[in-house]
Amino acid sequence: MSGHHVSSAKFLWGVAIALLFLTYVTVAVTWIHIPEPWNVVVAIAIAVVKSAIVAAFFMHLWWDTKFNLLLLITSIVFFLILIGITLLDTLYRIDPVPSF
Amino acid sequence: MATSESTNIKKIQVRRFKPDENPTSNYLTEERGLWAWMTTVDHKKIGWMYLGSIAIFFAVGGILALLLRTELLTPAQTFFTADAYNQLFTLHGAIMVFFFLVPSVPAALGNFILPLQLGCKDVAFPRVNLLSFYIYVVGALFTLFAIFTGGVDTGWTFYTPYSSSAAGGNVMAMTFGVFILGFSSILTGLNFIVTIHRMRAPGLTWNKLPLFLWALYATSIIQILATPVLAITLLLLTMERLLSIGIFDPALGGDPVLYQHFFWFYSHPAVYIMIVPGFGIISEIISTFSRKHIFGYWAIALSSLAIAFIGFLVWGHHMFVAGQSSLANLVFSFLTFLVGIPTGIKIFNWIATMYKGSIDLKTPMLYVMVFLFLFTIGGFTGIMLGALAVDIHLHDTYYVVAHFHYVMVGGMVMAFLGGLHYWWPKMTGKMYNEMWGRISCAIVFIGFNLTFLPQFVMGSLGMPRRYFNYLEQFQGYHVMSTYGSYILGLGFLMVLIYLTHSIFKGKKAPANPWQSRAMEWQAPSPPPLHNFEHTPVIIHGPYDYHKPMSEFQLGIAGSHNGHGHHEHETETKTVEADK
Amino acid sequence: MEQPSTLEKKQDHLQHHFVDSDQQFESAKMGMWIFLVTEILFFGGLFAAYIVFRSWYPELFLLASDHLDTFWGAVNTVVLISSSLTVAMAIRSAQLNQQKGIIINLAITIALAFVFMVIKYFEYTEKFAVGIFPGGYYTYEGIAHDQANIFFSIYYMMTGLHGIHVVVGIGLMVWLLLRARKGHFSSEYYTPVEITGLYWHLVDIIWIFLFPLLYLID
Ligand code: HEM
Ligand SMILES: [Cu+2]
Repeated sequence: MSGHHVSSAKFLWGVAIALLFLTYVTVAVTWIHIPEPWNVVVAIAIAVVKSAIVAAFFMHLWWDTKFNLLLLITSIVFFLILIGITLLDTLYRIDPVPSF
Repeated sequence: MATSESTNIKKIQVRRFKPDENPTSNYLTEERGLWAWMTTVDHKKIGWMYLGSIAIFFAVGGILALLLRTELLTPAQTFFTADAYNQLFTLHGAIMVFFFLVPSVPAALGNFILPLQLGCKDVAFPRVNLLSFYIYVVGALFTLFAIFTGGVDTGWTFYTPYSSSAAGGNVMAMTFGVFILGFSSILTGLNFIVTIHRMRAPGLTWNKLPLFLWALYATSIIQILATPVLAITLLLLTMERLLSIGIFDPALGGDPVLYQHFFWFYSHPAVYIMIVPGFGIISEIISTFSRKHIFGYWAIALSSLAIAFIGFLVWGHHMFVAGQSSLANLVFSFLTFLVGIPTGIKIFNWIATMYKGSIDLKTPMLYVMVFLFLFTIGGFTGIMLGALAVDIHLHDTYYVVAHFHYVMVGGMVMAFLGGLHYWWPKMTGKMYNEMWGRISCAIVFIGFNLTFLPQFVMGSLGMPRRYFNYLEQFQGYHVMSTYGSYILGLGFLMVLIYLTHSIFKGKKAPANPWQSRAMEWQAPSPPPLHNFEHTPVIIHGPYDYHKPMSEFQLGIAGSHNGHGHHEHETETKTVEADK
Repeated sequence: MEQPSTLEKKQDHLQHHFVDSDQQFESAKMGMWIFLVTEILFFGGLFAAYIVFRSWYPELFLLASDHLDTFWGAVNTVVLISSSLTVAMAIRSAQLNQQKGIIINLAITIALAFVFMVIKYFEYTEKFAVGIFPGGYYTYEGIAHDQANIFFSIYYMMTGLHGIHVVVGIGLMVWLLLRARKGHFSSEYYTPVEITGLYWHLVDIIWIFLFPLLYLID
């Protein structure tokens, strides 16, 4: 069959090592106590990069039809819509904490 | 098709295949018997099984509705206690929405028609298709179980904290049933998307895709994006009842409005799961019975996608008085108005299609007329409800009840009936009685308006929804509405009777009784087990009424896998088909 | 495609309604991607709840996260990433017709998945031991916050659902392993390995987010 990408073993190992390294980084940054919101930003950013690596290389999106990539992006966009608009409510209530 | 070709144009040898007018064997005569039906992976039979199931649920939901209306004949208690009334309207709503409307067009009619319109043998994952039907059955069983173990009285929306702590009965079984049902819906959507992408016959490019398929495509996208959120919401609700996890329950520090966000993130898009396939049917019928190319093909196709997208941005209009922040109210109200745009685009294009067409008011087309009339009222009143200040007055009144019945019954059920009549000859190989068809349609139209028009009036006067008693001043409206519902019920019953009658005693249907140009009509009625004996090749769009019928009946003879690539010797014609 | 004999062999797995193997393979893969979309939105609901509550009670998340063991969380991350690697290697073996490679890599993947679940089991029992149960059964007093139960409800829902996905994954891998031993997969046909792999990587990705969001709040 044509068009099926075969990754070399070396390459796959490289990807895994990059992921493990980023795991180390994400733990390590908690030791230096980055101030609020930025610690969250950094943690999420690293997670996003790791996921992108998994999706691109382990899940072959890099070589795959663009539509599958579009699907992935769509799911993320709609998740962002869900949380984004919900936050418009929950962050801006007069009494943000239900005081029961 | 799926072959990788360097150029976009590919030359294929085709010849004409006129559909067989008297097929000796078809999908109904092959693989007979109960077991063969229950284990079939044929999309047509699965479509029938869905059709049977949703018909049963429609009947059950309808009877519940008549009981509700009967209770409302008098301002005081007529037959039922308040508790019984609460259970009745909950079941009516949940059954009609989850078990009838959501699967009605995609799973029943869509399953049957989609592969035929694509010119392929089956959906991409036939076994998943069957699985999705059985998941639907299991979900239904859970619901039955809930009914017989205490019932549910939360309303179809299962709002917390009532549903999570106070409500009696068996909320868990019910929500779990709906949870399971969601997977059936997801799998149908998944199957359709892949099928439309991967299984199109040679030459069937996106710009020749029937608008019914564009609509199903948009619907499927909503199904896969919205339904999972409903699933997790109901799971959290179940956990709330089971373990008091405190995410939605204010007594434990949770937030009930969050539940509403999650619920409507699914359920507003879900109203488009219900209506968009109906839009598709309307486009098909209106072009066929106006004998005219559809006006604004791309506008209609893309507005389906636009609706699917915008539908995700407006859910908060159900929560204007639920205690969400004013900022959210403002944004949601604004975004809600946007939905009207693509919907309006569709209506205008349909009207323009009829303009100067030679309109033939056969039963399906009559239903389209009814649809255009009623749905427009439903849509406009929706816009009014979307206006923040107006909704504060109208929320949770009969005005809302009337609005959503105008869209769901006046819109979707009419489109469904139109589609059912339209494709009935294809599905059964029989013609129904045209006169009874028209009479019933008229009765349905009269009954419907008599039932729901008064509800707009009493709603705006302040009659709240979900009450079993009411002030005497509303009795006149309620009585009218109740009698209307009996007429409506009669109309539906007549449809059931003459359609059933036609299966046994109806005239034989020709392959293409409406002289349509769409692909499904180029298969025999009823179609053979694998839909086409040849591989159809498509060179014109499905609405090209200015082209002779013969150019819609081209194909290549079947080979090993049906869609063989090898050339046939008796070719009569060479066409260029985009791949 | 030239020799008729290989042509015959190729058609074994091909279902009647597809034209060729490529169409079948691409369809299956797209189907799996769509399924993954639904998975992302399914977990998305939980992530949304997480974000809402974290924005309401930031101090709670800080306090409660201290009670999760970063070390074991990190170990599990390493375990899952390694298993992603072995799945990818299994697919590579299939593409190269290395029957043994498929089997070995799948076996390692299953083993790693088990390790993940065992570690999760110990984490859970340790919590239960001090009274950190989900929801209404929460009795632990060591966290000075009224809504401490909510953090752990979210924790249990997220990791619990993720755990269920791991278990399902194990089931799928075992099924693949059994089929691989019968020699069902080859460079011509390895669709099930490929799409199970996609599923497995997604389970990995979800954990990649769960780990910093639950364990690494400082
Ligand atoms: C132009 C398009 C539409 C707009 C702007 C619109 C707007 C609205 C608004 C603002 C409400 C909330 C009223 C309230 O509870 O106070 C509502 C309720 C509702 N709408 Fe629509 N709508 C539209 C189309 C539809 C369609 C196509 C359907 C179904 C096929 C539908 C089904 C419903 C249902 C079921 C409810 C009531 C839900 C409940 O509370 O039980 N709507 N609509
Ligand atoms: Cu809505």
